Amino acid sequence: MRARLPLLAVLLSIAMVTSAEAWSYKDAAKPYAGQSITILDEITPLQETMKTLVPEFVKETGIQVDYQLLNHFEVISKGQADMLSGRGAYDGVMVHSPQLGLLLQADVVRPIDDLLGNKTISNPDLDLKDVIQPAWDSVAKFKGKTYGLLDWNYNVVYWARGDVLNHPDEKAAFKKRYNYDLAPAKTLQQMRDIAEFFTRKKGEKLAGQPLESDFYGVVLEGIKGGTTFWTLWNVFIKNSGGDVFDAEGRPTIDRPENVAGLKLWAEMWKFAPPGQAEYSLIDVPTVMGNGIAAQTLAWSDFVLGIDQPGKSKYAGKFVYAGSPAGKSGTRSAETEPSMIVISKHSKKAEATYLFLQWLVDKQTQKRFFEVSKGAGVPIRESTWSLGELKQSRFAALYDAMRETLKNGRAKPKAPKIFEVMDVMSGLVQEVALGRKTAEQGLKEGQEKVLAICKKCTL
Amino acid sequence: MYALSTRATATGAGWFPYALIAPAMLTLVIVALVPFVYTIYLSLHEMQFARVGDWAGLANYRALLGNARFWHSVWISTVFVALAVPLEFALGLLGALVLNQGVRCRSLIVPVLFVPTMMAPIVVAILWKVMLAGSWGLVSYNVLERFGILSDISVLASPALALYALVFIDVWQWTPFVMLALFAGLSSLPMAPYRAAAVDGATSVQMFRRLTIPLLMPLMAVIVLLRLIDAFKIFDTIFLLTAGGPGQATESLSLFTYKTVFDFWNLGTASATAVVIWIMFFVFSNAFYQLARRTLRAF
Repeated sequence: MRARLPLLAVLLSIAMVTSAEAWSYKDAAKPYAGQSITILDEITPLQETMKTLVPEFVKETGIQVDYQLLNHFEVISKGQADMLSGRGAYDGVMVHSPQLGLLLQADVVRPIDDLLGNKTISNPDLDLKDVIQPAWDSVAKFKGKTYGLLDWNYNVVYWARGDVLNHPDEKAAFKKRYNYDLAPAKTLQQMRDIAEFFTRKKGEKLAGQPLESDFYGVVLEGIKGGTTFWTLWNVFIKNSGGDVFDAEGRPTIDRPENVAGLKLWAEMWKFAPPGQAEYSLIDVPTVMGNGIAAQTLAWSDFVLGIDQPGKSKYAGKFVYAGSPAGKSGTRSAETEPSMIVISKHSKKAEATYLFLQWLVDKQTQKRFFEVSKGAGVPIRESTWSLGELKQSRFAALYDAMRETLKNGRAKPKAPKIFEVMDVMSGLVQEVALGRKTAEQGLKEGQEKVLAICKKCTL
Repeated sequence: MYALSTRATATGAGWFPYALIAPAMLTLVIVALVPFVYTIYLSLHEMQFARVGDWAGLANYRALLGNARFWHSVWISTVFVALAVPLEFALGLLGALVLNQGVRCRSLIVPVLFVPTMMAPIVVAILWKVMLAGSWGLVSYNVLERFGILSDISVLASPALALYALVFIDVWQWTPFVMLALFAGLSSLPMAPYRAAAVDGATSVQMFRRLTIPLLMPLMAVIVLLRLIDAFKIFDTIFLLTAGGPGQATESLSLFTYKTVFDFWNLGTASATAVVIWIMFFVFSNAFYQLARRTLRAF
């Protein structure tokens, strides 16, 4: 009997492997072939690349996919309107993590746990343990249910001008002034020092050359709305030990740690271009590409579009790092894990689920990075070791993304979070522009947010 | 229409004129009246996300009228209109009078003047973002900063200046429209009264005051009314350039309504806002019409 055990094990393994090999999107999709599903996603270069691969899914499964791409604002307004109204024009809708509070409260997102457990349509090789964490769990899992697979993994990285940071004269002067070596900032305090050090007027020297225009030590997103407050919250406030809500979801806007985080952020504005209050997440990479600022915190998918020959004369001269830590070594980063959820009003949940699985499939992800020539944002741990990334000119950027993604989480599931953000982003702008102190701004914020929600999270 | 109706009745086809206008009226009812009536209906109901809930009476209106942010946005829109429209009108009239003097290359100038007005709002926003961007904008850096003006601030990022910058952009975009419309009006004025006035020895200032202004009054009233309504609804340029900031310095009424719908999903309040805006326009337009008709004899 003991001698037969290894044989049994081998046979079992072969059976399992055979069973796994037997599963295919083609077979699983047979009952749904000919169905037509409509997916709404956001338009960025990432999704545009993915769109070129979608015909491969259609060819394999026979499921027709109308993969629609709309801009950030429209994908939110149109997608939410469709789900909330019960119209059901879209089977799958891309949602950013802040949207989930409202959508879950309205009960319009279909959990996928039953689909994940359905062996007929679930790919046994999907290997969900390989999906990057805490991104996936924090965005998709809530109160024991799973609401989607991780599709897009936007993240904010530290991005600086390597040519000026590595210049020997600058390094020596920096060391003399701050008593530590000049290098890409690992902490927010270092980022502040670098910002101060490199802020120079036209005519002064930078890396041995006289400046033809003013040069700024830092540039940050500062426009009202956008992701200004998200970054302030997750990078500056959380790394100062603060938070916007307490564990029960009650607003804690004016706590001292938040004041400290806001003060540090506002202080950096002194070293930023004068137009920062109108800079959106698109303007920040443009300013970096123009070469008038030393460093920033920027969405890495936008960096991919700038650090390219022909796009910026500083292409190849940039350096990257993960989002900086706080004083006490706290590591919180701004990330935006997003997913395509299945609308509760969809009548084609299985076909949609097959498509969503295919999007995150290892093979699809590999193809994605082949087609994009190594430009993308990974959603799987295994993707980091792909040759397309390791040999890519963005290899250093991928290291930075990986570091950031370790410390980033989805936004809390708060139905009125956009209202809270709208109030706060206006107030912190006023603090940064010197019209209010940090204490005044956050005290006013606490009052206004309490008027919106006493307990803000679900 | 009266003549057509009389003639149609005379020929025994009284229904015919109505049949002719029926498609247009039906389209108008479907695209304008039905949504508006539905908006009133929504404003009187509780809205749970995008679904109609229980009867709410005037609760949405009470919430709106007690909202300081609503009144702030009304103020911003009013200031915007009060600054932009008179400037556009004054500059437009001046330009039209100059064009009417028979300037050289008029046939070349007129089409060029149309360019700002024909531009899509997104193009206008990008253009002025590039022009006014702090520290690198074409105007802000190459012109203003070189003369030491506004060198350490960006106009669109300044709470004190952002609204004026948006007014300036609106004036830039819409003055040519006013100018060309008034120029067309000036070109079509009858010559006989001017000849008679010249024979009577009237000066050009007297002719302008006593003839040009009264004759142009109907056109001027329509242009001003159109610009007032359009400027009050300003949304796209603000949304694209400042998003209502810094702080709430440029949050117009349209932007407030947009946020109430698409950011906050407060459809009851948003519907009430739409109805209140309509009432404001209705009252204002009627008052303007009566003023123009009785005092200025424009209609």
